[in-house]
Amino acid sequence: MRRISVDIGGTFTDCFVAWDGHYIGAKALTTHHNLAQGFNDALDIAVQGIGIEKRSILAGIDSVRYATTLGTNALIERKGPRIGLLVTEGFNSTVPLSRGRGYGEGLPFEKQRDLPNAVRPDPLVPIQMIRGVRERLSYNGEVLLPLDENDLREKLRQLVDQGAETIVVMFTNSVVNAAHELRVRDVFLEEYPSYLLGAIPLLLSHQVAGRKGEYSRAISTIIDSFLHQVMYHGLGTLALNLRANGYEKPMLISHNSGGMAQLNSTDALQTVHSGPVAGIAAAEHLAKNGDLGNIVATDMGGTSFDIGIVVEGGEKHYDFNPVIDRWLVSIPMVHLVTLGAGGGSIASFDQLYNTIKIGPESAGSDPGPACYDRGGMLPTVTDADLLLGYLDPENYANGRIKLNAARSRFAIEETLCDDLDLDVLDICKHIKQTADTNMGNGISTELGSRGYDTSEFTLLAYGGNGPLHCCGIANSLGVNRVLAPPFSPMFSALGAGNVNQMHIHEQSTYSVLFDTTANTIMSDYHRLNGAIEDLEKRGREDLLRQGMNSNDIQFRLEFDMRYGNQRVETAVSSETTRFESVHNILNLIQRFHTRYGERFGEGSQAPESGVRINTIRVSSYVELDKVDFKHIKPVTEKRSVEPVSQRLCHFVGYDKPVMTRVYDDSATKAGSFINGPAVVTTKDTTYLVEPNWSYHASHKGAVWFFKRKGAA
Amino acid sequence: MTNNITKADLSKEEQALIDQFLVDNQLFYGPDPEIMRNHGLDPRSDTEERILSAGLDAQKVNMVRGRLTAALDETHTMVEQMGVAPGAKWGDLVTAIFTANGDMAQTGTHGIVVFASVCQYPVKFIRKYWVNEPTVGVRDGDAFIHNDSAYGNIHNTDQSLMMPVFWQGNLVCWVSSTIHEGENGAIEPGGMPSIAETKYDEGLKMCPFKIVENFQLRRDIVTFLQNSVRDPKLQLADMKVKLHSIIRLRERVLSVIEEFGIDYLQGTLRKSLEDTETEVRRRIEEIPNGISRVNTFIDGNLREDVLAKMPMEIRIEGSRMIWNLKGTSPEFTNRSINVVMGSMKTCLLTSLILYVWPDLPKNQAVFSAVEVEMDENSLVNCSNEAPNAMSLLPIFRSFSMPPMTMGKLNYCMPKRYTAINANTYSQPATLVYGGLTQHGEVTGNFCADINGNGTGGREDKDGEHSLSPVFGYMADTGEMELAEEELPYVRLVAQKLAKDRVGFGKYRGGMGYEQIATVKNSTEFGFMTGQCGSKHPSAYGLFGGYACPTYPMARIKNINIFETFKNNPEQFDFDMITLMNERKITGGDYYVQDAGMNFELCNEGEIYMICQGAGGGYGDVLDRDPSMVAKDLEEELISPNLAQEIYKVIFNPDNFVIDEDATQQARDEERMARIKRGIPYDEFVASWVKPEPSEDLPYMGSWGNDHSTLVVSPPGEKRYRIPAGSSGVMFSNPKDRLIAELQAEINTLKKTQGC
Repeated sequence: MRRISVDIGGTFTDCFVAWDGHYIGAKALTTHHNLAQGFNDALDIAVQGIGIEKRSILAGIDSVRYATTLGTNALIERKGPRIGLLVTEGFNSTVPLSRGRGYGEGLPFEKQRDLPNAVRPDPLVPIQMIRGVRERLSYNGEVLLPLDENDLREKLRQLVDQGAETIVVMFTNSVVNAAHELRVRDVFLEEYPSYLLGAIPLLLSHQVAGRKGEYSRAISTIIDSFLHQVMYHGLGTLALNLRANGYEKPMLISHNSGGMAQLNSTDALQTVHSGPVAGIAAAEHLAKNGDLGNIVATDMGGTSFDIGIVVEGGEKHYDFNPVIDRWLVSIPMVHLVTLGAGGGSIASFDQLYNTIKIGPESAGSDPGPACYDRGGMLPTVTDADLLLGYLDPENYANGRIKLNAARSRFAIEETLCDDLDLDVLDICKHIKQTADTNMGNGISTELGSRGYDTSEFTLLAYGGNGPLHCCGIANSLGVNRVLAPPFSPMFSALGAGNVNQMHIHEQSTYSVLFDTTANTIMSDYHRLNGAIEDLEKRGREDLLRQGMNSNDIQFRLEFDMRYGNQRVETAVSSETTRFESVHNILNLIQRFHTRYGERFGEGSQAPESGVRINTIRVSSYVELDKVDFKHIKPVTEKRSVEPVSQRLCHFVGYDKPVMTRVYDDSATKAGSFINGPAVVTTKDTTYLVEPNWSYHASHKGAVWFFKRKGAA
Repeated sequence: MTNNITKADLSKEEQALIDQFLVDNQLFYGPDPEIMRNHGLDPRSDTEERILSAGLDAQKVNMVRGRLTAALDETHTMVEQMGVAPGAKWGDLVTAIFTANGDMAQTGTHGIVVFASVCQYPVKFIRKYWVNEPTVGVRDGDAFIHNDSAYGNIHNTDQSLMMPVFWQGNLVCWVSSTIHEGENGAIEPGGMPSIAETKYDEGLKMCPFKIVENFQLRRDIVTFLQNSVRDPKLQLADMKVKLHSIIRLRERVLSVIEEFGIDYLQGTLRKSLEDTETEVRRRIEEIPNGISRVNTFIDGNLREDVLAKMPMEIRIEGSRMIWNLKGTSPEFTNRSINVVMGSMKTCLLTSLILYVWPDLPKNQAVFSAVEVEMDENSLVNCSNEAPNAMSLLPIFRSFSMPPMTMGKLNYCMPKRYTAINANTYSQPATLVYGGLTQHGEVTGNFCADINGNGTGGREDKDGEHSLSPVFGYMADTGEMELAEEELPYVRLVAQKLAKDRVGFGKYRGGMGYEQIATVKNSTEFGFMTGQCGSKHPSAYGLFGGYACPTYPMARIKNINIFETFKNNPEQFDFDMITLMNERKITGGDYYVQDAGMNFELCNEGEIYMICQGAGGGYGDVLDRDPSMVAKDLEEELISPNLAQEIYKVIFNPDNFVIDEDATQQARDEERMARIKRGIPYDEFVASWVKPEPSEDLPYMGSWGNDHSTLVVSPPGEKRYRIPAGSSGVMFSNPKDRLIAELQAEINTLKKTQGC
């Protein structure tokens, strides 16, 4: 396997190169003015490890794959075109009102509950750029009010006159009858042929999202439209850079669905959060390949803590209405929960309970924690970590950032010591413990609300601060084993190199499998099979267009099912892809019953309210080679390692400082075994082995942490 | 002649015997005033005293609290996801934890606080009456259901399930789950009947009773409940949802006990309450002594026009804060808009959490330090027999009065805990529906538009359009495509901001939106509404800002709009005002009425139109930044004429560019005109204050500052006065009044026509 994968983040560009069995990871600063430069820098570092010059590597590589936060940044910075929005008349304010709750999407709950200060985010489409068109379809696609083409032409003209650089069309119920939306496209081309005005892109909502829900579908289409240009230019620049350096094949883009596709088969919306999602995809492969069972994947960085779930042999966890930046969208995205907890989370005094509160405010990376010495005056989790002795001030982030402990101490003394009447180190322990507990509670809520028992999971800890806090988080969760995976600081980049070429297509449906009013079981197999066939066809065409071999294409069929009119849509994978008998239907109902009971408790099922399918989803994919993780399980060999130094560290539950051995990169060799307390500082990350935990390095740089038996 | 024995004649032993006899032979365990009138915390139990006296580690307490929050968030998500009732899907639900004594100690980060706090009353009832009752008992694995507001609820469309948690044989705390269910078998579908004349018209009236044993629903009782409502599927499904959420919550609480010990669980619950009360008392002491008042009025009871007064006075006296609601209209004994005292208090509590101190924990102790004064038999403190299914009308005022009164008190404070804001719109402006769906199912419930109230202007910015319900945050107005899939209505106008209808001010309120609905594919489906505010505004301005306007409802009957769409589509305008002013749809009967409408069937294609309302304005309109007016003009939120008239801005009508000099001049002129119109305050009072309300005003409540006497003006009857708290008001049936009017007309005609 010869492959390069890249995760372009807000601060760092991570690169992972697989070259004939060599796996090399590298980091460089992201260069926002020209992303290609950061990529080149990271690749330069990586190729040094292989010993072949960059151009030769690029010429010989099978594929280059990108996961990028470009879209997320463009959304936050509002870098996008002026969008004109056409909606069904009468739905003019649907987007501006954002279902009411839109003001709080993506915000911490402290801000969500502060109604008097509630403010909606700046709109992607201002109110004056929205027009209603006279037309209306019913819930089942019947034309109630025919499309008024004169009205349409007038509204299009108004939007163009007002400077629309791109047009989005969202007609109510267009996912069950697209005729009116399609007609808009024709009329638009008649009125404004490309030779007249140049290309004004026009996006139809039913082509971006196949689900019902006019608001979330509209926002999805708007974001897709908003990001299109910046993504096109940004990724196009990267593609040109690759070409200039000898890479001739198509560039592949990671999707937030957990798959990837060529640039020309990628919607901008699918790239948002693709980096963190690639990390979860890597975790999934790791779990399967390494036979690790259930995994909760956590990525602790400077500002956030991402949680993903990978269940052995179970359903994939998707969000169908995830929040992107501040917007609720309609897209199947790998489930990912982001908490505002990271090294930069600010610690403050909680007057009410006379204790410490962590976050939701964050010092981020600029100015960053007080110890960064860049003007940050408030104490953060990283400041506490430094004062507790866990971090090496000279070698943090491979020496890129020098830490100033005096700043950390000053920040804590100034803001917390008097109120809490505690000394600095006690406060640092409280900060560490509270941060770990908060993250543990986040994981617990996440697993619990999906019906899982935390004790049945291995905690996977990656990201810049993951291996530093993982023992503390595991203590809080009651988990006894933790894996810091290979290449944990660039795990998402590794993940981007490990996904399949995949497309997901969905179709809203109102299919009653069990009608309790009529006491009947669905028998219209033809309609159901027809919908499945159509979705498979669309997926197959996507993959064929990108040069995939027809014989390699596989499909996974899932249904979103519910009892009666409830909100939850439980994703149920189907054993069969075609339905021909009552037996097939009852089998599907039983699978739903089992899955639902596992999640919400046996007996909570309510089939007597009726059973429905709301969405049909087909994932079409081609299985590609993966990085080999077979040997990352704990090794039997236990090899002692010589520490390079020792220093006093402070731990929760210990009144006095503990002399703690410090190790370097040599401790990452397979078999290295260390009993905590200990600190292992490598060029990319810091592993903290807390008291009562042991550290055991496995192959390929994987590190296991085990809680010692009998430890509290 | 009788020879009654008085208490004085009895020995202690005899008195005890009689007391026990009375306890043993109690006819009915009705709502207990001792429970229902007390919003304070229970005294520490012996266990709590022991634990807290010994001291707890603050960091460990913090961890326990975090664990409980995680458990509450987990179960909240479960209910939201699994719930079948529309209310559950839109956030109208909560899970909560109570101390062993029944004080509401904690909710999760989301959920409707008032649902949780009002559950303290039924929990305390169960604790007092059923624990030692041999035929009932409270055991591990039991759970109790409840919805009757007389025992503690907002109105009986909300249903709760409460479960005791035992540890080593001792009851250590309670957990609960509540959903706004909607349908409950009332005289009108949807659970909020506006025509209920007695509480027996309001459907299910569940005092707290056991429905779960050994963690399983009792099917006989479940069947009884299903048999009592129109939507038996909903009733069963959501009872399962609530049960499994509290089973999960109980498991999580037990794991906390296993990890931290029983003392840390009980100590944390109690300590959270006491710490909160201490903090509230500290904040009260921050406020200088003073009095702040607001008078509000409700302009209808959903059957007839009345102007019912709801005043509020807040007094700060050192460490005491007194909320006085005396002078409120007497209860309407045969109308459904009354409120039980306990419900009112828990709503006032929620108002503090939402609009004044949103940083405080969401528990019962936020309000325990506040003293409350109310008249008996009043609209906000009704008798046990008074119906209250539509208590929302006064209750929504309980959310809007405190921000006004507290806002005035807080204005001078160096530290405020949130922005000072004018009123959020305070009406349940939504269509309630019922009937047969296109899928052949019987249903009754309400639309999510209740969650789209415009918020008030604020000290530093405009209010937000249609943001939230007045009683909660992060609630959802939903997706129309999904609603239409389940229900036989078509929203011709789903959400369209209501131009010009807003509270003006330096910072204007957020706007509401128009809703136009019709029915398709059902022969038996209809609508009602449960709002007022068509004659008197429902959201007041602050510091010179305007109140929101009034909102009527309109209907076009005897048409089929779908036929019009086919044959004469140009006759339909997607706009309530144009439809009603131009009346282009041929053959239609056009009606405008106050916004409260009793249930009526809607034939296919008939049109019903209502409007979600706007928030009040903040500050003087002449201080509004002209560029903000220009933005409103650009967004077509205000008509050019109105912008000029209200804000005195001068602009180019073609592009809305402001002429700053001309605007300054127009505003200066208006200020001078105001001075000219002004009169000394004493003169104003002398000319403005009247000895009593206008004769034709159907006024209810105190007049002026004397709250000891209430004016009562029932429609069709002579006005009279009663001592405050003495009794409620009975209304005649509007149909009887109509018959009497018609009869009088007939009699007159007979006389004049000589027939």
